[in-house]
This record gives sequence, structure tokens and C-alpha cells, in this order.
Amino acid sequence: MIAIVQEIIDETPDTKTFRLAFEDKEYAKSFEWEPGQFVEVTVFGAGEAPIGFASDPNERSFFELTVVERGKVTRAMHALKKGEKVGIRGPFGNCWPLEDMKGKDVLIVSGGCGLAPLRPAILQILANRKEYGNFLLLYGARTPADRNYKYDLDAWAKRDDMQVLETVDVGDENWKGNVGVVTTLFDKMKVDGENTVALTCGPPIMIKFVTLELLKMGFSEDRIVTSQERYMKCGVGKCGHCCINHVYLCTEGPVFTYAQMKELFELKL
Amino acid sequence: MKKDYSILKKSDVPAFFASLANEMQLIGPKQLFAGDVTFDVIQSHKDIYWDYGHVVYPPKRFLLPHFEDMFRYTCDEQIKIEPTCNPQPQAIVAIRSCDVAAIRFQENFFSYPIVDPYYKERLNNTVLFNLVCNTPPKEECFCICCDSGPWLESGFDVQLTDLGDRFLYEVGSDKGEKATEPRAYMLLPATPADIEARRQIELQADSRFQTVSYLAKAINFISADEVPAKIWEDLGSTCFRCGACTNLCPVCTCFTVDDREEPDGTFTRCRSWDSCQYAGFTREASGHNPRPTFGSRVARRFYHKTSYQYIIRDGRHGCVGCGRCITACLTKLGLPDVVKRIRREMHEFLPPKEKAAEV
Ligand SMILES: Cc1cc2nc3c(=O)[nH]c(=O)nc-3n(C[C@H](O)[C@H](O)[C@H](O)COP(=O)(O)OP(=O)(O)OC[C@H]3O[C@@H](n4cnc5c(N)ncnc54)[C@H](O)[C@@H]3O)c2cc1C
Ligand code: SF4
Ligand code: SF4
Ligand code: FES
Repeated sequence: MIAIVQEIIDETPDTKTFRLAFEDKEYAKSFEWEPGQFVEVTVFGAGEAPIGFASDPNERSFFELTVVERGKVTRAMHALKKGEKVGIRGPFGNCWPLEDMKGKDVLIVSGGCGLAPLRPAILQILANRKEYGNFLLLYGARTPADRNYKYDLDAWAKRDDMQVLETVDVGDENWKGNVGVVTTLFDKMKVDGENTVALTCGPPIMIKFVTLELLKMGFSEDRIVTSQERYMKCGVGKCGHCCINHVYLCTEGPVFTYAQMKELFELKL
Repeated sequence: MKKDYSILKKSDVPAFFASLANEMQLIGPKQLFAGDVTFDVIQSHKDIYWDYGHVVYPPKRFLLPHFEDMFRYTCDEQIKIEPTCNPQPQAIVAIRSCDVAAIRFQENFFSYPIVDPYYKERLNNTVLFNLVCNTPPKEECFCICCDSGPWLESGFDVQLTDLGDRFLYEVGSDKGEKATEPRAYMLLPATPADIEARRQIELQADSRFQTVSYLAKAINFISADEVPAKIWEDLGSTCFRCGACTNLCPVCTCFTVDDREEPDGTFTRCRSWDSCQYAGFTREASGHNPRPTFGSRVARRFYHKTSYQYIIRDGRHGCVGCGRCITACLTKLGLPDVVKRIRREMHEFLPPKEKAAEV
């Protein structure tokens, strides 16, 4: 389906958020997705790449994708201008277990562009704030300039119904906050491991250390939920690129609990 | 479907396939200039090389082409997308049982849980004329260990057994029935002696395999992730990363997708064969590679071929015993060799797993 670029937001030196709306308004109405899912985006003339939804799932007139410039397709995407067209297939994949998390405290741990696929979950939780307990967001970026969604982070930090803790690997003269990897924020937070669900997304090494720490804090294996990334080509379980053991990430993931990950030895921590 | 045996006399074979060629493209074993045989488009039924033995290059490309155009698009103001897949009716003649079994494996994979329209369209337009192996044509054949040959109980559209001056002719599907019907007058009823002759061939074929692969232990150890990484890395250390094993394997399906610019300025989305044995198969744009070593990639290939988890998923294990990976591998990474290595190294039986606590 053809979608039109409505808005382009510069997030960081290598990251842009694209606001897209379908050309076909009827199709737009029927297009529903859940936080955690992704689409295959065709940049015409370049190719196709999987990108996670990054916007508010209740907003039906447009959706947003946050894209890091990495290679052929994402470079072409960054060259797009307002009004240009892209092709969209999807939505694909499973979603964050937001329903099952109701009544529990929520801890979100994200690193770098790993905040993108979590943003719809955050917005959904804030829209139904009463249904969840304490809400804590940890975010780590490489440098202050690499923070995604600065406008959101600053607004969320001001809210009294959620807590935001941030860190950067390397600070600069204006940075007053924490410096260090995201797990260094764990000493600064109070969570009830027994009654909290943790959602995490970021580089594989971050997911590893976050998961190990959470297990130490008493989180049960089915309350540690991660979104995995794999090279993907088709999104429909055929090309074979995204397999983790016998599980096809594109159709059965990308969201897995640690309990599920343990069954897959290719994900051994 | 009721088993229905007839006889096609060899003297009638030319007329039979000449007539079939009027209805569909024939694909079959064809001798090339230097004497090599490969599956190719058959222009004249005379070119079908019935005594070909076995070919290294599987006929899988007639259902899953190396490069398959999926659709074409223009990049102008108006984006126009045109389908390019338009398969014509074809018959693959004198295909071997192992390759038919591999096609059935692929059919199942491409149908479940999501249908792949390209593969399905091609297969719907394809009739398979299987040729039973009276004796295994190659030293490397071990289909007998994989329930995929040297003859088939089902899965073929038509199955032919060479009985000297005639073929025993079995129809195995509605598609086979339809391809037979216009030429049914050329067939004779099979006699009990013909059926007995076929039974004797089956009995003898069983004992003539030179390659065997006792898979059970490898299945157990691979499924349970009990094969030490060191064994995989040892095996992987000799891999030339040529990808021949997966490219020649009639079961393997993995592909990559690219957009290609045409001379006229339009673009074609094209899928082409890929291999889990290449490092780039899983390397992500960030540089991170979840399967960073040769050992991890060899382990992947054998997990997909033999693990219990995939057997459940696909309904059978992912090897039909055609022996091509033995022929193709420059070192010793053919399936039977790896299976043997695991059997040799894993002397112990798997310890019983701790029973899950009763709830
Ligand atoms: C479920 C999922 C969600 C994602 N969400 C986002 C997101 O929200 N924002 C974002 O910036 N990136 C996201 N990515 C990563 C993004 O898909 C890759 O950065 C992108 O495909 C790189 O393509 P390229 O052509 O620019 O790079 P190249 O290196 O030129 O890659 C060439 C080809 O490789 C494939 N490829 C390379 N790396 C990856 C990869 N990591 N994952 C999948 N395919 C890859 C692409 O399909 C591409 O056609 C996501 C990946 C997955 C699997
Ligand atoms: S593997 Fe079996 S079916 Fe295939 S060619 Fe050899 S004997 Fe025939
Ligand atoms: S794994 Fe080897 S023997 Fe088995 S089907 Fe593939 S190429 Fe043939
Ligand atoms: S992306 Fe092709 S199988 Fe998952």
C-alpha cells in the first residue's frame, strides 16, 4: 500500500522520524496495529526494510516510523522529502503484552533507537494510566545528542504519574544527568521485582545485561519481555533470515519473554 | 486415491511424451555437449535422457528459480506496480524420488502457515513424472534412510518403474490423472507378473545402498543442544563458505530479496537463492551478527536439517538423502559425514532430562 510522507522530524544526527499516511483513505481506516509490531517499508528504487511502529496506536490518521541511517534502504529513506511516497506491507509480528500487564507495575529499559518500538507502548500505557501501577522508564543513549524523542523525554520527565531516569555513555558540558551504561541506573530505582513487568529493547549486549540484572532482582522469567532484532527479508516466514532456532522472528516475534527465549538456545545469554 | 497400475511400452514412450509436449513444456534430464547431464527444457521428446543416473544440479530451480522476479514498478510521480509471475504448464519428466520428496517438503513449507503465491502458482502448473531408481544411481545416495526413495508410496503425480522393455505406470494424484487421460489409450493393463517384477526390484534396491546415515543419535543431540560448540567449530573450520551444500540441496529454500534497476528505468523486485552458510545471511545493519562463527553457521544448517523441533514443524526432517551435499562439499561437511562425526564423538546417551515438577 502506498503511503505519503507528511512530516519529517530530525531526532539525532543519524535518526529521523517519518510521519506517514496512506494514500487510500478507506485502507487507512482498516489499518490497525499493536505496539511492538512492525511494517516492511519500500523506498522505491532502493528496496525494502523492516521498521517498527513508533507512534501512538490510537492515532488512526497517520503512523510514525523512526529510522536510523544504516545502509542502502535507510539512506534512501533519509533522502525522502515531504509529499514523497513509500510502500508499506504489514503490520507484521506480535506485540508487547500490554493487556496482561494491567494491574502491575511497569519498568521499561531501553537503549539508543530501542526506544522507538517501545514508544507506542509508553503512549498506550499513559493513555490508560489508571490500569497500571508504578511506571518507570530507563533510557540510555550514547551521547546527549543521540537521545531520541527529546521532546517526549522532557515532557514525560515532568509528569508525576511516571518516573524517567536517563543516562548517556559519554556526556558533554551541558549534560547534568547520569553517565554510564543503562544498568548503572538500576541502583537509583526502586522496583518490586515480584509485581513488575519489564519491557526492554536495545542492542543485544544491553538486553543481555539488563536481563541478568532483572533476574537477580527477582523478576520471574515470564515478566521479562524483550523485542529482538534479526536480519529480515520477507516478513512472512519464508526467506529464512530471521530464524532463531526453529522460531521465525517475523511471524512469531519479535517480542519474547525470557521464559520463551530460554527455550531457544540460539538466544542463550 | 486408489492405486492404479498400467504399462507403458517403451516403444510408445516417444509418442506419449510428444503428445504431452503439445500441452505443456517438458523439463527433463538432458545430455550436454561434454556428456554431462542436467535438468533442462526439453525441446524434443527424443532429448529425454532416460538412463541418466542422477544429476548434481537439482530440478528445484523450475519451481524456485535462482532469480525470480516478483513484480516490477515505476518510480515516477504515479507508482505503478505490475506482477511479473506468470508460470506456464510444465511437466518434470524422469525426476528422481528424492527430488519429488524434496518438492513435497517445499510445498508444505511454502503453504504453511502463510502461503507463498509464487511457489504455489508454479507448482500448481507442474506435473511430476517420477522415475524409480532400480538401483541407487550413485554411491552417495541414501534416500533409504530418509523415507524418500528409491521409489515413492505417494507424492508423485505419475511414477514410472523400468521393467526392461516397458514402464510400470502409476498415477498418484488428480494432476497425474489429468495429464494421463488424453494418452490413456497408449497404456495397457498391468499383469500380476508386472507387479511382481516391480516388487522384486524394490526388494533388491533396499540392499544396494553404499551410503547410509543413521540419524537418530544426531537428531537427539542436536535437538537438545548437546553437541559441544567445539565440534561445530572443528567442522566449521574446514568450510570454504562456498554455499554449494545449500544451493544444491533440493530441500533448502532460503532466499534474499533485492530491487534491481532495469535499463528502461523501471525497477524489479527479485528474490534469489541465499545460504545460511554465509556470514552475511544474518549480519545486521549495525554490524552485529547473531551467528558470528563458521561453527555457529554449520550448527544452524544441521539444526534445520535434523532437529526434532523442525521435524515437528515441517512434518519430516529436512534431508531427502540425495547425497548432493556429499558430492558438492570440498571438505567433509556432507550430511552423512557430520551425522557420523556426531555419532562417533557423542559416546554417551543423553542423560534423562529432569522431569518438570508436578503442579
Ligand atoms: C522487527 C524489526 C524492527 C526494526 N525497527 C527499526 C526501527 O524502528 N528503526 C530503525 O532504524 N531500524 C529498525 N530495524 C532495523 C532496520 O530494519 C535495518 O536497519 C535496515 O533494514 C537496514 O537496511 P539498509 O538497507 O539501510 O541497510 P543495508 O546494510 O544496506 O542492508 C541491506 C539489506 O539488509 C537488510 N538488513 C540489514 N540489516 C538488517 C537488520 N538489522 N534487520 C533487518 N534487515 C536488515 C535490509 O533488508 C536491506 O535490504 C528493525 C529491524 C527489525 C528486524
Ligand atoms: S537418493 Fe534415492 S531416489 Fe535419489 S537418486 Fe539416489 S537412489 Fe534415487
Ligand atoms: S542435506 Fe544433502 S543429502 Fe540431504 S537433501 Fe540436502 S543435499 Fe541432499
Ligand atoms: S523475515 Fe523472512 S522468514 Fe522472517
